[in-house]
Amino acid sequence: MSALHETARPAARGPRTVWGLLLRRLLGHQLAVGSAAFLVILGCLAILTPVIEAGLGVEANAVDLTQRFAGPTAGHWLGTDELGRDLLARLLYGGQVSLFVGIVAALASAVIGTLIGLPAGYYGGRLDAVLMRLTDGVIALPLLPLLIVLAALDLNKLGLPEALVNDPNVSLYRMIVIISLVGWTTVARLVRGAALSLREREYVLAATAAGAGGMRIMAVHILPNVVSPIIVATTLSVGNVILLESVLSFLGLGIQPPIASWGNMLTGAQELIWSAPVLAFYPGMLIFVTVIAFNFLGDGLQDALDPRAIEG
Amino acid sequence: MSRYVAGRLVESLVVLVIMSFVIYALIGLMPGDPIDLMIKSDPRLTPEDAARLRAVYGLDKPLTERYLSWAAAALSGDFGNSRLYARPVLDVMPGFLLNTLNLMGISFVISVAIAVPVGIYAALRQQTAADYVINLACFAGISVPIFWLALMLIIVFAVLIPVLPASGVSSIGGGDILDRARHLVLPVITLTVFSVGSYTRFMRAATIEVMRQDYIRTAFAKGADRQRVVVHHALRNAMLPVVTIVALSFGTLFSGALITETMFAYPGMGKLIFDSVMGNDFNMALVTLLFATLVTLLANLGADLAYAWLDPRISYGGGGGRGR
Amino acid sequence: MSAAPAPSGTSPAAAVAAPLLEVRDLVKHFPIGGGGLFGRRTGTIHAVNGVSLTLAPGETLALVGESGCGKTTVARTIARLYRPDEGTVRFRGRDLAGLKGGALKSARRALQMVFQDPFGSLNPRLPIGAIINEPLKIHRLGTAADRRARVAEVMTQVGLNPRDAERYPHQFSGGQRQRIAIARALALEPELIIADEPLSALDVSIQSQILNLLQDIQAARSLAFLFITHDLAVVDHFADRVAVMYLGHIVESAPRDALFAAPRHPYTRALIDAIPVPGGGKRKLGTATRGDVPSPAAPPSGCPFHPRCPRASDICRTAMPALEAAAGGAETGHLAACHHPLDPGEAP
Repeated sequence: MSALHETARPAARGPRTVWGLLLRRLLGHQLAVGSAAFLVILGCLAILTPVIEAGLGVEANAVDLTQRFAGPTAGHWLGTDELGRDLLARLLYGGQVSLFVGIVAALASAVIGTLIGLPAGYYGGRLDAVLMRLTDGVIALPLLPLLIVLAALDLNKLGLPEALVNDPNVSLYRMIVIISLVGWTTVARLVRGAALSLREREYVLAATAAGAGGMRIMAVHILPNVVSPIIVATTLSVGNVILLESVLSFLGLGIQPPIASWGNMLTGAQELIWSAPVLAFYPGMLIFVTVIAFNFLGDGLQDALDPRAIEG
Repeated sequence: MSRYVAGRLVESLVVLVIMSFVIYALIGLMPGDPIDLMIKSDPRLTPEDAARLRAVYGLDKPLTERYLSWAAAALSGDFGNSRLYARPVLDVMPGFLLNTLNLMGISFVISVAIAVPVGIYAALRQQTAADYVINLACFAGISVPIFWLALMLIIVFAVLIPVLPASGVSSIGGGDILDRARHLVLPVITLTVFSVGSYTRFMRAATIEVMRQDYIRTAFAKGADRQRVVVHHALRNAMLPVVTIVALSFGTLFSGALITETMFAYPGMGKLIFDSVMGNDFNMALVTLLFATLVTLLANLGADLAYAWLDPRISYGGGGGRGR
Repeated sequence: MSAAPAPSGTSPAAAVAAPLLEVRDLVKHFPIGGGGLFGRRTGTIHAVNGVSLTLAPGETLALVGESGCGKTTVARTIARLYRPDEGTVRFRGRDLAGLKGGALKSARRALQMVFQDPFGSLNPRLPIGAIINEPLKIHRLGTAADRRARVAEVMTQVGLNPRDAERYPHQFSGGQRQRIAIARALALEPELIIADEPLSALDVSIQSQILNLLQDIQAARSLAFLFITHDLAVVDHFADRVAVMYLGHIVESAPRDALFAAPRHPYTRALIDAIPVPGGGKRKLGTATRGDVPSPAAPPSGCPFHPRCPRASDICRTAMPALEAAAGGAETGHLAACHHPLDPGEAP
């Protein structure tokens, strides 16, 4: 034996993995951290809404026409809306819905985008050309007009089962589906670009030489190295989704009452500008703050993941 | 290069045609058949009348046939009548289009006029308080829901302190330039906020990126005046990605215009699209949606071409591009 | 391309066995530009232009040449990472170029590759145990426990501590990472290892360690090696036979000692002369070749070396010389592609 047994170098002090490095850099980014904290709190509040409701002795859907437009009282911390419903509870439920739709639709878009971008970049050639033409085509469509049309479609005419059409949550599902249908293009382009460059890496060649098939290479060698930018893009897109959902709900096309969404809480408020402007303030403010939080977080993640800084 | 342009035009055309079919089909899936609407307004119509009317209007034929007859008519310039306005669609559109162009155009110019200098300023003063504030303002701009911003502006400037009108393009009975301008103020502000935030961020990022380049540092090392370096070298190269981003964000601008017009009852293309979709005005909805698609496609094409033309390193189709 | 019979420059002892690897007239070109629906090809890189070579079991063939001569492309095409444009690659008697799917996969078991960049060839997100295990997993060999044992075995053979299997590539030095890559190549017990410049990215002091490791491995298992390198000094230690490449062609092929003692091609001569000697100076003074290597996108006509060759004449500019045995070379398998081959001991 020519060489002695060598052991690995002792691990350097500090984070050993790429994730550790990332976390440390992220923590240095105060806005991102603050945003993350805010979102976690919001998320907890949203999940715990039923508990809070019971604790405060209010019910979000309880209509009480004797208490319309009440100001903040002990019974209703933020007052009531035009139907006497407790504002705070409704805002919390709205938060549930907006966060749910935002996160799920963003994730669904990421999945669709990855499924399209990964083979396109890895296999290249005709498949890539076709998929990218498709992607460019979808990017070229005017977003909001298209979403309005999709949101206004008559589900019966689409041939969907009766049970689904009459499900009270159908507007929720519809929102998620149509937003995902148009939102995957960013991730698709991102993943395709990464796959295109990663497929030339020698460890990919090594896997091919060892007999690995395309699926294995994409899943084991390419995808894990693309995950970081996907996470950044997805985080940034949640804010966008929330904005889209709230616009559609505001226009009456999105989440349908009685399900509360921050957007549809504002639909009624437009007529009430003259009498109760406060009702127009809270839901929109919450949308604003939540979206900006996701944007800060995404921006922080992007900086933390900057490859220049890591490989330097 | 011209080969590339021709190719892209063809592609855009193909997308447009495909979209026309898709939109036609989608609109057919909207609630409210034209005959159903007739029946609702005239209860004396019997099912036999309805069936007869359907046959007359060709509404009982399969989708592709109906589409092709629409397409044939469209190609000869006949886009049908608007149900809501009781006039040919093409008569109704231009007025609305003009209003939207006004709105989007003014907003765009103001956005760029603010974003470019502010973005550069922020880039040159990275990590200072000023940069921080600007950055925050940009984030705020791109995060605020447009319709809510419109509501807040209306509340403040039309209700609480009634100085500006809350809707319309001019006062009843027509108005002069000043009146129209007053009506434009709130819509323009609403539409501009997002764009300013977005463009400023890009300008800042692009400028930072360019300033990092070695050739800029060389210019400074050679003792060149800082302002000259910024203007002559950095700016030109930073403009490239910014131009593309700006052209690509046309779609977003248009969507923003749609919301803004709806909020302020401003009679533009966006509001027209919305009203016609919600009001079951099929002909109008079809045409306006197609128009929106066409314009977005052209904007994207413009972005690609501008990029190819401005970047001398890119050569499309071999032998093209501008040599250094 | 070459009309001569397949170069069988095998040493007499190995001539008895059928060749393990037989490459004939391999051609591989790459388009520049193009792609997409409306792009256009603006040129072609003529990476490999008719390369033929053979390798007997247990033999080490060194493929030598400077950057851009196409040796990496040859290596990768043989390993079926690229599809050859023309020519055949017969490995254990079967043409790899025509294989697909399952047949290709099983052929790959016996043919493994070690790459140049010790960091780039290891997936940074996988622990090295998983990296070495991967070929075993792909071919579904044994149980998980069997595979773990094999990984440990192979790690020991290359001089690594099996307890480090959970660590990540960035925690190892360059030399160690190359050992990992070699371990990965050995996992399937291949018959042929293609090593593409495995030492070039390593510090000089580490190079000899790894080279010794490779020699030990070969001795222990009678592995065949196709060793790609630009460093003739390394070749001196390790190779049985040497093939010299220039701009996509093999210009000389000979047993190692014969090549160094009596190079026939002027290019080979120049390479040998350029080897630095301890104590300064060069081995021998020869006429320096002129100019730089032309781009593989625009290869010269006729003999690719003629623009730089001090012996070039008219025929060199027009006709590509065939790779054939020069005087006295047929028995030893010493071939050269030159219209004016050097005589033994002659300076160009």
